[in-house]
Amino acid sequence: MKQPTFVPVGVSGGIGPFRSNWKPLFKQLLVWLSPFVVFGVFLLFYHVNPLRLYGSMVQSTFGDLYGLGEVLLKATPFILTGLAAALPAKAGLVNVGGEGQLAIGALFATGSAVFLLERFPAWLGIPIMLLAGALGGALWGMLIAALKVKGRLNETITSVLLNYVAGYTVAFFVHGILKDPESFNWPYSPEIAWTLRLPIFDGTRLHVGFIIAIVLAIVVWYVLAKTRLGFRIRVLGSNRHAAERAGMNVNRTYFWVLVAAGALAGIAGMIEISGIEGRLRPTTGVNYGYFGFLAAMLAWNHPLKLLGTSFLLGMISVAGNTLEIGSGLPASSATILMGLVLLFILGGRRRAKR
Amino acid sequence: MITADILTGAIRSGTSVMLASQGELLSERAGVINLGTEGSVLAGALGAFATTVWTGSPWLGALAGGVCGLLLSAIHAFLVISRGANQLATGLTIMFLGIGATSFLGRDFVSEQIVGFNPVAIPVLSDIPFLGDILFNHDPLTYLSVLLVPCLWYVLFRTRIGVILRSAGEREEVLFASGINPKLVRYLAVLAGGFLAGVGGAQLSLAFTHSWVENMAQGRGVVAVALVIFASWLPSRAMLGAYLFGAAQALQLTVQQQGLGISPFFLFMVPYVLTLVALLIVERRKHSNTPEALSRVLAGEGGG
Amino acid sequence: MVHPDVESYPYLLKAQGLTKRFGSLTANQSIQLEVKPGSIHAILGENGAGKSTLMKMLYGVYEPDEGEIWMDGETVSLHPPTRARAKGIGMVFQDFRVIPAMTVLDNIALSVEKGWRIRRKSLRNRIVEVSSKYGLAVDPDAFVWQLDLGQRQRLEIVKVLLAPGTRIIIFDEPTSVLVPQEVESFLQMLDLLRRDGYGILLITHKINEVLACADQVTVLRSGRVSHQMSREEGLDGDALISAMLGDKALKPVLKPAPNSSEVRPEVLRVENGTIRGDHGEEVLADFQLSMRHGEIVGVAGISGSGQRELAEALFGLRKLASGTLTVHGKPLRGGDVRAFMEAGVSFVSEDPIKESVIPGFTILEHMVLDGIPVRNKGVGIDWRHIRSELENSEEAKSLALADAGRRADQLSGGNVQRMVLSRALIRKPDILIISYPSRGLDIGTTLTIQQRLIELAERGTAILLFSEDLDELFKLSDKLVVLAGKRLLGPYLPSETDKAQIGARMLKGESA
Repeated sequence: MKQPTFVPVGVSGGIGPFRSNWKPLFKQLLVWLSPFVVFGVFLLFYHVNPLRLYGSMVQSTFGDLYGLGEVLLKATPFILTGLAAALPAKAGLVNVGGEGQLAIGALFATGSAVFLLERFPAWLGIPIMLLAGALGGALWGMLIAALKVKGRLNETITSVLLNYVAGYTVAFFVHGILKDPESFNWPYSPEIAWTLRLPIFDGTRLHVGFIIAIVLAIVVWYVLAKTRLGFRIRVLGSNRHAAERAGMNVNRTYFWVLVAAGALAGIAGMIEISGIEGRLRPTTGVNYGYFGFLAAMLAWNHPLKLLGTSFLLGMISVAGNTLEIGSGLPASSATILMGLVLLFILGGRRRAKR
Repeated sequence: MITADILTGAIRSGTSVMLASQGELLSERAGVINLGTEGSVLAGALGAFATTVWTGSPWLGALAGGVCGLLLSAIHAFLVISRGANQLATGLTIMFLGIGATSFLGRDFVSEQIVGFNPVAIPVLSDIPFLGDILFNHDPLTYLSVLLVPCLWYVLFRTRIGVILRSAGEREEVLFASGINPKLVRYLAVLAGGFLAGVGGAQLSLAFTHSWVENMAQGRGVVAVALVIFASWLPSRAMLGAYLFGAAQALQLTVQQQGLGISPFFLFMVPYVLTLVALLIVERRKHSNTPEALSRVLAGEGGG
Repeated sequence: MVHPDVESYPYLLKAQGLTKRFGSLTANQSIQLEVKPGSIHAILGENGAGKSTLMKMLYGVYEPDEGEIWMDGETVSLHPPTRARAKGIGMVFQDFRVIPAMTVLDNIALSVEKGWRIRRKSLRNRIVEVSSKYGLAVDPDAFVWQLDLGQRQRLEIVKVLLAPGTRIIIFDEPTSVLVPQEVESFLQMLDLLRRDGYGILLITHKINEVLACADQVTVLRSGRVSHQMSREEGLDGDALISAMLGDKALKPVLKPAPNSSEVRPEVLRVENGTIRGDHGEEVLADFQLSMRHGEIVGVAGISGSGQRELAEALFGLRKLASGTLTVHGKPLRGGDVRAFMEAGVSFVSEDPIKESVIPGFTILEHMVLDGIPVRNKGVGIDWRHIRSELENSEEAKSLALADAGRRADQLSGGNVQRMVLSRALIRKPDILIISYPSRGLDIGTTLTIQQRLIELAERGTAILLFSEDLDELFKLSDKLVVLAGKRLLGPYLPSETDKAQIGARMLKGESA
């Protein structure tokens, strides 16, 4: 597994390719291991052998193609919602709206699939559905952006509040006009046409959405590291006063960065529908936005390192399912492990320079 | 009749948010924003519920709830104050950890029944027509929470403790120059905030719902954080905001019972949208009294 | 008020061989000094001479690496500052340690009261008593953000005087925030304190203040004591200057005599301008401003009279609430900085470290922000081209800019100022707005920068110069304007006015 290495100064502009930093390696190792130790102790209380669990985690990931596919499948939405957090973070914003943007993206994608794209061929239908998802997420992101730019409201708080609103919006539709008439009162949408489902790799459940996510991560990295636009975003993220004084339109940059982030998370929503679920439920992608945010934090908001941290969170998620099936512990225990990993990383970081 | 129901409900359902927001107000006045309040509310709700199930005493439960909230906020305090972690990110992680941990630990309590706190009518006063029922027929935690507000105001603005706490949120170097350790002050403020959020959670599970449900806070902790900003860091206004949120919740229940044909999901959204609108309105104000340390965090510097 | 033991020792505090090192840098080397009761001891030195390190050791912020400090006949440790305060040492900081969002009374209660209570009534009485005794008028119920810098300084002094047991007061560059008239009453107050037996340490770089009030002087240069003398031995201004600067050859700044017959074209004009501050309050009302080709316009005013807002408005960072702003006859609207830059306006802001430095970025990367026009390479930036352009630029060379590859957040204050200035100059601006160019710099750098500004004006750039140093304004400006009481007064010609008149206008506005 590719373990991300750390660049010492927190929010500094550095976004080059991987840079290794051997000196504090021991400390890094400790930071990564500690949460697993703490969680292991926790497991012992519930009569689960942590070593066996961790072993089976690795085993099920690398043991066969299907297992690996499952982990990559889980990691896919994390990469995209992670980008939705990492890109704004580079501009100095803390966007936690990936959760809601994914939900609205899934809603738009499903809506377009059910009402419009039913009879479209795959080569046309899937891209349109993807755009619909991106549009939904972008609109939701635009709401946060407008509140930030026009209303001068902190994006962190508005994005969390709007996540709840987005959840209820999806619930409204799947209980209402998007409800499957044959569902006997269950709140979910009709299934989308099979032509609109993403192609799947043989022997797994993994779909091409995974490739889309990786490509988008590389695109975001390239834009940030190599282009003038990216340079400006990084300047803004490091010192907004300097950006203003350099003649940059700060609000416009904030606005479009948040919209782009929304589009990325919206694509994650579309991929969930088209790649896995086939229909929209109120629970589609729940918590994926938060997982993505955590993955981005773990990766220091570096789009390429994010691939690694999403993979790790994917492993933990899959392990959560194993736990539930194997030892009767609820899947939420995986959430605890993720929280612990993140807390140790946050706390183990060197203090960012003022 | 409906108005009275909604107003009574506003207080009953707003109290948990109110307690959490008073706690968050302390923390933010000292310069630490704690989105982990959501987690603390949940931890408090579960801790209180479990303790009440075990001991039968809601008072012990409320205390335990406060302690659980405090423990969770201690993680935030440590990471933010001692380790200099990003406040917003750490808070979110703790919120997340709180949701995960409480749904994990609380699964055995989902079907439990408790007596908890019940409304206690205050003699004479509760007989006042209309107002009596709205104001003087509540659970003990609600009464206490109302008393808390003027106390907090007095401490914050009339005592040296308040001056010290506010200084920590404005300019820590000044406090340092006065020979007081600003980190210690912040720790205490965050811990007190976590305790109050925990008691708020206790009110939720012991007095409002009398049950434990996974993720039952439903964003109340986040709303509490937003309300403190809406309240421009004044206890009385935070109380007002919390009851406004409570009223929106009560309205939703009432409308549902009346069967007016409005989708419940729209009504569920109302409190959150209302909070956003309230924030938008106050942001138009000219003179802001955002604590300086906090405005740095909100402007994206994030540091401790 | 003053410790009784004072009678038994001839000094309140005696320092011997104080040395402080930061890594390889020796900030203070074997410093020796005495503070006597009822006397003023001035510490004189340039920026960077080690004054602030010495003062921080005496106030307990730093622990000395070597040497000892004596008080009351025994060696003492003053670190941390709480201990220094317990020993009766008080400090009036240059960047006041006050909290703007709180009242004067709350600020004083924070440091003076003990326990959890505030005895508001008795505290208020004590404040009134001390302030009337020493002429330190300050309203206990005013919020600090409402006070000007002079009043904030008085608050700081009251705070120190009310702290129990204070007998030594350290003043850090106290007159830098005061106008000439205020300086006078400040010196009178120092005299009152001296008569009441306080020992006073006055840290300053202004020789005339030392001559006016000091009983003893210690001159620091490069971290060492270069000279010590007392009033009985006679204080000599020239000796102090040479002790302060050493044999550094300083070229005086030369400004060519203005050619008054020539009418220069106007480059910038504001008519009936009104500017609002961050909280929507009016900061400057209905003002007129005109700048001509090659002219240096100096802006004087008590700090916080709208300097920042005016500078920001002229660079488009802030909108005019009303009125018109034209550059080269073309009206410009605030809020669009790029349009101002394209019209030839450059801005060097007052706090370059906070407002212009991006942590982790190199000097070269900073140059691209708004200095050298970006040369594109596909969607990226042609860094090699920009580097060679920077290395060949006259402006960078004449300012002795550090290597382009160095990280800007690791530069010294002087180097940051040089970087920001080169960046502004490389664009060859028609109009340069520059705030406090010499703040915190040593005299050599200051003179270089002043000379560069004059040369720039000679080549046709119109410069709006904000400064808190009246000497600097008189030396450089072709005309002066004064910000006071929400108005912009002037212009005045430096040859037809003097510092006292300008100072009076700064304090009292037009009526003076």
